[in-house]
Amino acid sequence: MKPITITPAVSPNMLKTVQTAATPAEAQKSFSSFLKSSIEKVNQAQMESDKLTEKLALGQNVDLHQVMIASQKASVSLQLTLEIRNKAVEAYQEMMRMQV
Amino acid sequence: MSIFHSMNTTASALTAQRLRMDVVSSNMANADTTRAKFVNGEWEPYRRKSVVMQAKEGQFSSYLQTALDTNSSRGAGNGVKVSKIIEDESPFQLVYDPSHPDANEEGYVQMPNVDPLKEMVDLMSATRSYEANVTVFNASKNMLMKALEIGK
Repeated sequence: MKPITITPAVSPNMLKTVQTAATPAEAQKSFSSFLKSSIEKVNQAQMESDKLTEKLALGQNVDLHQVMIASQKASVSLQLTLEIRNKAVEAYQEMMRMQV
Repeated sequence: MSIFHSMNTTASALTAQRLRMDVVSSNMANADTTRAKFVNGEWEPYRRKSVVMQAKEGQFSSYLQTALDTNSSRGAGNGVKVSKIIEDESPFQLVYDPSHPDANEEGYVQMPNVDPLKEMVDLMSATRSYEANVTVFNASKNMLMKALEIGK
């Protein structure tokens, strides 16, 4: 008599992918860490701009356009952050308006 | 950050044009300088300087950057830099002025090979190029700000 072989309907590989698919908590955590690092980058741009402005004010060897460009970069980064924040708040409010 | 790639590129051009402007102002300032270098116990007049610009490519840092850059800016170039400042080897002008302390036995003075007309043209070219690059920068910024308006 032939032994019966059982093949799993879900292969181990698939199981792995199911397990690694992010739970809501994990997704939130990765999003928050991403947000944190992004905000850190924006802050770095601000600090770079501050540093260059200070150097210019102290009469050190920096070009005026370098200062302006750094400040513009910081400005664009901050605008982007603001837009993302507005979107996030909007999404939150949309959720809170939901009828339960 | 790759969204600032074009800004960085145009910033390098601004820096290069500033340096060119510095060189032009040095040439203009020294248009009558008869004592710039002390060579073999004799004073030599000022030699006209000019910049050599080079694309920021073919160096290790640019290859590394393009290799790391996974975005579409790959191969778009990394801007410009001034690779060196060279001296114009054309002959000095001889001017007859026996009262000049640097005049030779025949009363001729060697004057710098600076032509103010050429310098003015170079100056205007540098200014226009700077303006053009500022325009590029502003256009790039406008584009980013427009992108932030998507979905508003």
